[in-house]
Amino acid sequence: MKFARSVRIEPGARAVRTVCPFGCGIICGIIAHEKDGKVVKVEPGDYKDTSHICVRGLSSPRLAYHPDRLKYPMKRKGQRGEGKWERISWDEAMDMAASRLKGIGEKYGTPSLAFVSAGVGGLTNYSTVGFAGACQGTFIMPAGFGDSAGPCADTVCYGAPLWFGEDYTNRFDNPGLCVLWGNNASVTEPFKWRRIRKAKENGARVVVIDPRFTTTASRADQYISIRPGTDVALALGMMNVILEKRLHDRAFLSDHTSAPLLVRNDTGQYLREKDVIPEGSDKHMVWDTIENQPVVHDARGTTPALSGDFKVKEIGCRPAFELLTGLIQQYTPEKVSKITEIPEDVIINLATDYGTIKPSASYRGMGGTRGNLHGDVNFRAINTLAALTGNISFEGHYTFELNPLGFFELGMPQFVTLLQMYEAILNDEPFAIRSLWLMRHNMINQDPDFNRMTKDILPKLEFIAVTDLFMTTTAQYADLVLPACTFFETTDIGAPIGNGSHEYIQLQQKVIEPMYESRPDIEIYTMLAEKMGFDAFLDKSAEDCIEMLLDSDHPTMEGVTLDNLKKGPVAPGTCEMPVFNTPSGRLEFYTENLKAFGQELPGYIEPVESQRTPQAEKYPLLFSTTHSKFRLHSMYANVDWIRELDPEPVLKINPVDAASRNIKDGDSVRVFNDRGEVVIKAKLHNKVRAGLVNTSQGWSPDHFISGTHQALSHATINPAQAAVFEPNAAFSDTLVEVERVEEG
Amino acid sequence: MGERQILLIDLELCIGCQTCTIACKSEHGFDKGSGIRVETIETVNTGKKVTGFSEFSMYFQPVTCMQCEQPACLDACTEEAITKRSDGIVLIDAENCTGCEACVSSCPYDALFYDEYKNIVRKCSFCHERLDDGFEPFCALCCPEKAIYWGDNDDPESEVSKLIIKRNAHTLKSELNTGPAVFYIPQKNCS
Repeated sequence: MKFARSVRIEPGARAVRTVCPFGCGIICGIIAHEKDGKVVKVEPGDYKDTSHICVRGLSSPRLAYHPDRLKYPMKRKGQRGEGKWERISWDEAMDMAASRLKGIGEKYGTPSLAFVSAGVGGLTNYSTVGFAGACQGTFIMPAGFGDSAGPCADTVCYGAPLWFGEDYTNRFDNPGLCVLWGNNASVTEPFKWRRIRKAKENGARVVVIDPRFTTTASRADQYISIRPGTDVALALGMMNVILEKRLHDRAFLSDHTSAPLLVRNDTGQYLREKDVIPEGSDKHMVWDTIENQPVVHDARGTTPALSGDFKVKEIGCRPAFELLTGLIQQYTPEKVSKITEIPEDVIINLATDYGTIKPSASYRGMGGTRGNLHGDVNFRAINTLAALTGNISFEGHYTFELNPLGFFELGMPQFVTLLQMYEAILNDEPFAIRSLWLMRHNMINQDPDFNRMTKDILPKLEFIAVTDLFMTTTAQYADLVLPACTFFETTDIGAPIGNGSHEYIQLQQKVIEPMYESRPDIEIYTMLAEKMGFDAFLDKSAEDCIEMLLDSDHPTMEGVTLDNLKKGPVAPGTCEMPVFNTPSGRLEFYTENLKAFGQELPGYIEPVESQRTPQAEKYPLLFSTTHSKFRLHSMYANVDWIRELDPEPVLKINPVDAASRNIKDGDSVRVFNDRGEVVIKAKLHNKVRAGLVNTSQGWSPDHFISGTHQALSHATINPAQAAVFEPNAAFSDTLVEVERVEEG
Repeated sequence: MGERQILLIDLELCIGCQTCTIACKSEHGFDKGSGIRVETIETVNTGKKVTGFSEFSMYFQPVTCMQCEQPACLDACTEEAITKRSDGIVLIDAENCTGCEACVSSCPYDALFYDEYKNIVRKCSFCHERLDDGFEPFCALCCPEKAIYWGDNDDPESEVSKLIIKRNAHTLKSELNTGPAVFYIPQKNCS
């Protein structure tokens, strides 16, 4: 194989260009060295302009050759979770699965058969959705596992393609200011960090807003400590300063945003042409200040009003910007300082910089989406701040479109979001779910409210099947476990997702044969389909499936072919920006569909479990679970090389909070609330704010002294998010108390 | 003119990700331990505006075998297992090493470690076999921030020689006069 740089290969070894997909949306190209049928080493992939590898990627041979890998299919003996298993053949396993799925489908209807995928691996995902369709079953949407606040916001603001909304606020070639909102990019989003670092080298100021002093904060020019969950208030306070100093971009607001669109005083909905003239269209209306009359918003030669109160056919209307201004005026720096606990002058200076330096880029991370139940409003406020100052990227961004239709030849599934799945299992809403097929998704470990999950939800499931590499927390509760392949053992496609990644589509090329009795995911579905009596499902090679996906005819996909991917990474074409696929075709900071929830504008909402809510009397500390460089969610927690650097979970607690609880460094502490508890070692840490305690997510119950961190979180559904996209799990919107555990 | 192989590490770029630590394990088959570790250095913050915290910050400092000009380990070894190449790289001969660890305690940089599986002492060798084949040290290849430079410090025209002067690079514990071959570009964020 030819590489874009010279690669040192041991005698008798072979080097294969493939990917490590275990960065979630970030898929790093790697070169795997194989000798005598074994992966002996991994090194960074060859790109023409970038490369990346991390502790996880380099350790993946230790994952693949881990002695605890699941080696053959097993069915449960005894009670769920008892740990008694019987080895069975694939044929028996598929017979068992088919008979259970068919039985439950007949009893409760086929939508009761739910399928979940881990979200890693193109073929894994599409084949899972496709197989759910073949069963006339249900696919559980993945974004609510913690990531859906971004798409919720970007859907309403930009009508953005999934996961790429953040591009609008930071895809600038040469930003002068980089503001990171709850984003530890240097640890969690290496390719994004690379862009920020480049901007910094070119003279940009980097400002990090975070309740934790992170690695990224240590590399920034300014760090701003914020009270967790109050980002919306900060953004509104910045907008207040910007309006006060008249730093807003009137032309951008007028031309590209919903600012001039008239909103009806009576309904809170945008005024449409059909409201004005009987045969009128659905087009939004503005008030033309020259002719003093309403006109459709895309009429030429008008000068629309951005403020004022107008009467159109007895309907009182105001431009959306007037409504936004009304909201912003309530958030003076003084008030915002009280909410966010950031000094007024810091707010004023940051706002002045953001409004003056062009372009100013905004980056956002998981802090915003997982940090509170209204994570979508965080991002809507950041988007609105960008719109107000014209800091919206017009530069093309990478996107791509795959063609998954071939996976749905036998039908389309129902779709239910993750948190609504809890309701479907518990309360048969909107319909009963009684079987769960988990493809590499460690649900019990990674989804909120462990005790509700294990005590209330699992018993209602009549069949749980898990395909994974290890006996995960979830697999321990399964009825059937199937051994999966690592990425070294299968061919798949790696398409980067979102703003934190690079732009390349890459081939995951098989390096070694599947180990033990493990089978590629698509082959498992093909086998099961036969047992279910379906017509051939994906009865083709992985490469054929990939060709099917690539054949989307989307203009950005020109040249993205299997043959080219075999030669190396291929960047799809860029799309023009901004293209706002909203109802008005403009950037909408005013969302009429959210009027019913009182969230038509991105107003500040106190987190449900903040220290300023009544339950803080009982549980005064905020508990946040953040992403670690050592794991992808629960993966790699069992890998020896990784554990040498990160031996055990710890609770980081500010010395102030530790002192008042008589907690010393290394003490065992009980972290608890009404939902559950975890016992864990305390680490006194001056880089988390007082009032906040923190641990990294992904550890399993057997890593803790007792309990699990997921027992503290809750699965509250945010109906406003459910109305626009998927409700999100807000893992860090969680109050707890911490107490020292007496030894012995 | 001789040759002096050195590493130059840019502390401004280092994000403490420890990829170098795992890269070293991977390249040299160190089941336990690594030839390079990353220290977190806590600092008092004077230059940077910090809000809501006391005045502190941190940076990250990878530490590896310094391939000293005057290696204390070489003097401490009674088995003549430690040698120095003409380019300054200090090597441990696994055949002669008895695992007595005399060298381990002699090193002022705590850069050597005992390999319990092989009963020998291990350390960084700047990936000398890769260097001899014209490749970079494996940690330098894997460093995601490209913060590790390598080259000949006896050649005033080399990239590392120029960067050492331009970026005012320093060595660790220079007062010991061990003549370290690992140089550091200081970071300015948290000075």
